[in-house]
Amino acid sequence: MAEHVILFTGPMGAGKTTAIQSLSEIEVVATEAVNSDRITADKPTTTVAFDYGEITLDDDDKVRLYGAPGQRRFDFMWTILRERAVGMVLLVNNDAADPLASLTEFLGEFGDLHARGGIVVGVTRSDLAPVPTLDDYAACIAAARPEMMIPVFTLDAREPSQMRTALMSLILNVESTAASRDPAFAQ
Amino acid sequence: MNQRLHRDPATITHGSAALLHLRDLCSSLTYATLLTDDGFEVTSLGGADIATARMASMASSMQALGDAVTRELRIGAADYIIIASASGYVIQLRVPGQQLVLSALFDADETVGKALSSARLAIAEMAGGLGSAGTAK
Repeated sequence: MAEHVILFTGPMGAGKTTAIQSLSEIEVVATEAVNSDRITADKPTTTVAFDYGEITLDDDDKVRLYGAPGQRRFDFMWTILRERAVGMVLLVNNDAADPLASLTEFLGEFGDLHARGGIVVGVTRSDLAPVPTLDDYAACIAAARPEMMIPVFTLDAREPSQMRTALMSLILNVESTAASRDPAFAQ
Repeated sequence: MNQRLHRDPATITHGSAALLHLRDLCSSLTYATLLTDDGFEVTSLGGADIATARMASMASSMQALGDAVTRELRIGAADYIIIASASGYVIQLRVPGQQLVLSALFDADETVGKALSSARLAIAEMAGGLGSAGTAK
């Protein structure tokens, strides 16, 4: 059985914890604290260490799902969590003040995961804010990281089927990258 | 009250007084910080060479991980956390009834028991002074 460690990143309020809860087969290990800064993000709790869940795909691939805190003051956790990750789901909430700036920031911070396996971008809460559009995101990625091919999805983090589609897309990329490095992996 | 708990004047005042009281109780205290559950520094004492805001975030993560472990093991809420090293130790406790955590560094000359009991006295005093002020609205 192959194992993959996938990191969920993105700004506070993007839906990382919800996405992992939607996907995980086990009870999610959560490290939520009461959010004392409702001005920055109006949500009751926030992740302060990590979220952890697991999902088995096709009886053959176990995926360990780690959610990173969204605030930069927890960037020491980013360093810890990225060590074993082979891919990243970057979630950005479209109703944030400047979602494209968040996209650029997190791509800059975690861009190395693209070479390790892959990155997918999930745009959440686009029902609440129709812009930026997916084309805007694609253009932003092309400008910030022209060397990277990164798929962009609109996602509802509460919907397991949508999250699974995005995750499967990433896992295919991760396995394809691994196979290109080591042909034995593909067999 | 200010919506940002770490900037609430009453929380800062009572927190600072409690840290000073803790230093009076334990001369081995080298650094202490009061932080919100979600990792914002409220006030600190000592630690001139320590990145105090960063330590507050790390203490928040540690507290949440301690809570996750006790929850997983079904042994109730985490009472306190101790990190020991050859040259000192860190004691962390949640302030009763508040969304606040005390994290304190003592040098190795102190006994864990005395440091822990002193920290408990300090947070009890803080909790009494704060009433319901030390919770986010």
